[in-house]
Amino acid sequence: MNKFDDQAAKSLLDKNLITENQYQEIAAYRNLNIFSLNAELKLFLYLSVLLFTSGIGILIYKNIDSIGHIAILSILFIIICVCFYYCFKNSKGFQKTETTFENPVLEYLVLAANILTCIFIGYLQFQYEAFGTHYGLATLIPTIVSFSCAYYFDNKSVLTIAITGLAAYVGLSVTPQDLLNNNNFYSEQGLSYSAIMLGVFLILWTIYSSRINLKTHFSIIYLTFALHLISIAAISNLINDYIIWLAFAVVLAGSSYYFYNISHKLKAISLYVFMIIYAYIGFNILLFRVFANIDFSDIWMLFVLLLPAYFVGSIVLFIKLIKNFNKEIAE
Amino acid sequence: MIVHDKNLLDNLALVEEADTLKSGGFISKEQRDLIKKELPVFRSQSNILVRLGFFLLGSFLYSSMCGTISLFALSGLEFFFHIGFYVFAAVGFFGAELLANRQYHGHGLDDAFILGGISNLGVAIAMTTEGYELVIAFFVAIASFIMYRRFLHLLSLLVFCIAATAILFYGLFEFGAIGKTILPFAAMLFAAVFYFFTKKGIDNLTQVYYYKGLLLPNSFCLVLFYLSCNYLVVRELSAVLLGNEVLAGKDIPFAVFFYAFTFVVPVLYLVQALRTKDRIMLWISFLAIGFSIFTIRFYYSVLPIEIALTLGGLVLFAIAYFSIKKLKEAETGLTFKPDRIKNSDAFLNAEALIVASAFGMKPEVKPANSPMDFGGGGFSGGGSEGSF
Repeated sequence: MNKFDDQAAKSLLDKNLITENQYQEIAAYRNLNIFSLNAELKLFLYLSVLLFTSGIGILIYKNIDSIGHIAILSILFIIICVCFYYCFKNSKGFQKTETTFENPVLEYLVLAANILTCIFIGYLQFQYEAFGTHYGLATLIPTIVSFSCAYYFDNKSVLTIAITGLAAYVGLSVTPQDLLNNNNFYSEQGLSYSAIMLGVFLILWTIYSSRINLKTHFSIIYLTFALHLISIAAISNLINDYIIWLAFAVVLAGSSYYFYNISHKLKAISLYVFMIIYAYIGFNILLFRVFANIDFSDIWMLFVLLLPAYFVGSIVLFIKLIKNFNKEIAE
Repeated sequence: MIVHDKNLLDNLALVEEADTLKSGGFISKEQRDLIKKELPVFRSQSNILVRLGFFLLGSFLYSSMCGTISLFALSGLEFFFHIGFYVFAAVGFFGAELLANRQYHGHGLDDAFILGGISNLGVAIAMTTEGYELVIAFFVAIASFIMYRRFLHLLSLLVFCIAATAILFYGLFEFGAIGKTILPFAAMLFAAVFYFFTKKGIDNLTQVYYYKGLLLPNSFCLVLFYLSCNYLVVRELSAVLLGNEVLAGKDIPFAVFFYAFTFVVPVLYLVQALRTKDRIMLWISFLAIGFSIFTIRFYYSVLPIEIALTLGGLVLFAIAYFSIKKLKEAETGLTFKPDRIKNSDAFLNAEALIVASAFGMKPEVKPANSPMDFGGGGFSGGGSEGSF
């Protein structure tokens, strides 16, 4: 308990910024001396799911030839069934708006069941080639299962797995660490097109779902994936030697414009900041490409001198942008 | 000593309080906005992403300024090479002063200049003394403490804590083998003394804006205390510093003490945190417990990794499940109900991101390349990613 909290409420009262009643209510609540372990225990549940599923995954991987396949499959299947049974029993059924379980444990049970299902299908495919040589199916089916789980139980973590699955089906790896290393765009030009297409598809899907009011709180996840996909694909192609980079510059400009608007609408500062960062990087590459054609050998001193001024200009611009954003979402 | 207006510092606490009261539902949004309008505050960024962005931009600006200066100076003056970093440090401190006068506090830009100034000073001293660590740590500690006192800049206080610990370490190294042997105990004592010292400081504190500045070293001491006599840290450090390779069947001196310490202290933290309702200590205790488990697994592979993970998951689930069951209905004190005033659920937003990193599916490898490869290596979780 921090003695300054109460002091702060008291001086707000002294300055007549809160009413006596409000102060009494606050003081009464503080006197309950609540110490909530809500977030900590949820974190434990979450960690336990991650540990357990990783453990199972490694267990199967290591013992793929020693334990009987049927034994592994049946044990996995039983665990999955038990998890899903509890989830279905306690869920309120499908709803178009945001829902939560009464018991927070179930949210994590859904996650566990879903990851285990993915392991199960992956194992089936690996051992028995259940989907034959249609390797795409082995990705597509877990993706579909994850999407249905995410929508039925309203689970954001499962939704991200589903989206990475969808991207994997297209041929992209969009896990955060791969996006940061983004080496898959350099190697194949075709992948950039699919990344942009997928991004556009995700955006269109958010527009459609907001029109039919289907889980509108999922939009931000879709849009986050879309923003990073499109921007990284476009930026890594800006350094292309062929004239095609102009087209990617247009794509980046268009997506920045779209995300500028949508981040205001959703009041999502994370989208806004990343949009600015990508736009800024893109703009600098563009500047560099333009300057690369000019001979600088005589005036490079001037160039170095201008650099601080350029950064001051950018800082002023960014401060303005952030201020505008904060003002507009406050309204 | 403080450059900032004291009224603004007081207002900072009041506005923070208004924000928490608003999110707790005690006051309306209009009232919160009114309070914000009534009380002028600093130009600051509360969003960590935005602050990081401004920090990056500030660093670009700072380094480009330094680049310009050295461009001019190097062409004319030979000795600039010796004093260059002092000049850069001065530029940093000057910039920080300028920003503070324009009421930037916790904005990102000021972070860049203050931290840049401190690190440039460190490099400058290193070049003058040819890398004499004790002197570097000493001057960095002084500079960062002054920065904290002048700008109430918490990050430089953290630098100060680390530098002060470094002074202790390098100071003991001066005594040769004896100093290195008593290092763990000295660090432990140091942490304990300063823990109670800062604790007392918090109890007697009257100005609210120094509160975080005492809380940070206080928590730092807790971490240092645990690490100082952790078995893993002691054993590895003694191997590095004293060249004591532990032979098979033997152990480091006082091994029993260090083992006991590694296990007793986290539990002690946990109990104390729950007793005094101290959230920071609680989190430190979680991390300490995790590190203690890591310590054991580092030397003894008690169980194969997959069994350990699976069992660990089950045990953790059981702990969480039964604690939730027990605390669900509690109205006061320890409870599972979210706190209306203080909620630490920031990490819950990051959950989806972590899941995507750990379990995201990867595109399949074409079967033509190798018949063993198959899609979705990510299915099986962190440990085996990419190995399919």
